[in-house]
Amino acid sequence: MFLEVSSVTKSFGGLVAVSDLDLGVNEGEIVGLIGPNGSGKTTLFNLISGVLKPEKGQIKFGGRDITGLKPHRVCQHGIARTFQLTKPFMQMTALQNVMVGRLYGSNPILSIRKSKEECESILGFMGLGGKSLARATTLGVVDRKRLEIARALATKPKLLLLDEVMSGLTPTEMEEALKLVKAIGDSGVTLIVVEHVMKAILDISSRLIVLNYGEKIAEGKPQEVVNDKKVIEAYLGD
Amino acid sequence: MAVDWKKILPIVGILIFLIFVPLVTSRTDVLTWFFLTLLYIALSQSWNIIGGFAGQVNLGHAAFFGAGALTARYIWLHFGLPFPLALLGGAVAATLFAMLIGLPAFRLKGIYFVIGTLVLAEILRLVFYTILPEADVMPMKLLGTYSLNPRYYLSLLFAVLSVAAVYWVSRSRLGMGLLAVREDEEAAEASGVNTQKHKLVAFLISTFMAGLTGGIYAYYGAAFRPGGLFEPVWTFDAVIIVFVGGVGTIIGPIIGSVFFVLLKQFLSLYLPGGMHVAVFGVLFIIVVLFLPEGLVELITKVRHRLLGESSQIVS
Repeated sequence: MFLEVSSVTKSFGGLVAVSDLDLGVNEGEIVGLIGPNGSGKTTLFNLISGVLKPEKGQIKFGGRDITGLKPHRVCQHGIARTFQLTKPFMQMTALQNVMVGRLYGSNPILSIRKSKEECESILGFMGLGGKSLARATTLGVVDRKRLEIARALATKPKLLLLDEVMSGLTPTEMEEALKLVKAIGDSGVTLIVVEHVMKAILDISSRLIVLNYGEKIAEGKPQEVVNDKKVIEAYLGD
Repeated sequence: MAVDWKKILPIVGILIFLIFVPLVTSRTDVLTWFFLTLLYIALSQSWNIIGGFAGQVNLGHAAFFGAGALTARYIWLHFGLPFPLALLGGAVAATLFAMLIGLPAFRLKGIYFVIGTLVLAEILRLVFYTILPEADVMPMKLLGTYSLNPRYYLSLLFAVLSVAAVYWVSRSRLGMGLLAVREDEEAAEASGVNTQKHKLVAFLISTFMAGLTGGIYAYYGAAFRPGGLFEPVWTFDAVIIVFVGGVGTIIGPIIGSVFFVLLKQFLSLYLPGGMHVAVFGVLFIIVVLFLPEGLVELITKVRHRLLGESSQIVS
């Protein structure tokens, strides 16, 4: 297993957000992670990326124990993430935003000058080629999402966690976003994608994992999983 | 890289001018005015690193200025060691103190960090007013040969070095990391930036520079009360200069210092003592509300309007 989450538990006060969860991801997969609101998807991302520490259990990545590492260490080990509500470095240019990732991520380039060129091409790949000198504050919602992914890619991740990057996009924008996510997958990055837009998640995922109340209730081929009785119940109620 | 003479020539010109000032005039009021401006450039640039670049609003800056000044003064006058050694000793003392304070202080976030650092400086001020209540006066032997010129050149050297330090930081990987920390700590961490380490490094550079500036002041002041070195004005003058000039920029604290000292001298002619602080308070509020990037922004805007230059990002 590339990423191995074993019996991980995290609760907030009395509320168990992730409960004794086991989950594995193979290299090269695009795993869709779905579940109703509050089912623990974002908490799981926070646990993997080191923002939260699990009370119990272990997280292994590429054979190494990364449980409880600080987020920047996790990033340097090759796991990048985006935030559901984008968090651009507002007063910095798009290029500088991405350069931070390249200068500090895994396999960092230490020279400002050398990182610039490469980051320009990452911006180009994300469709922000003409906007590298624009400050993040001046970018619209869609461009900020692109920037968020560009910055994550610049850290040279082996595993990328995408948290609802498609929400709020128009159908055309979503088509483009899907193409980009697929292209990222094709470039050899393993992906875990949290998404509420069902069409999008079915389109890109090679495997689907469904969470409910912090537990895994189904896992498998996308088409089979969405027809699973338990999954339908979780979404629609009994 | 091609040398940009358009940028370098004015800098060289200003430097040559500043080097010649004491040779052209011996008026102490003019020299003092230049000295204070240069001292404030060094002090505000030191705050700029932690407050402007790393975004940590440290209101305890006076503690490190004071620690540097008092240590340097004691090593120099009371232990009788050569002044350069005293200057370095002061800066090292300020930095060591920052190391001691930094780790617990950065566990505080946002407003708690601001209040915590403010209280720290206030404690030191009260302690030194109590344990060293007498004014520290230079010995008669030194006062007899006192000259402003070496003080002036020392402040010029340090103003230049502090600007160079900020320039270096702004162009470096470290500077990029600091900006990221300032803008969003969680996103910075997620991008691989060790935020805690960056804040601490910025704090150490900043306090080292503040300690050096304090040392210059210890060399300059004929007599002062040790507690006064920890007065909040040393913090707030620097903060106001940085914000009025342009926070997180290289040129901002320079413009801010020139403007600040000029206005302070001017106001003290026409207003009853201490009233200039009120004017600066109002000015500070106006700048923060309407000109968040300070005078640098204003100058850029005016220049664009006058020359019709296409707008571009100034960093």
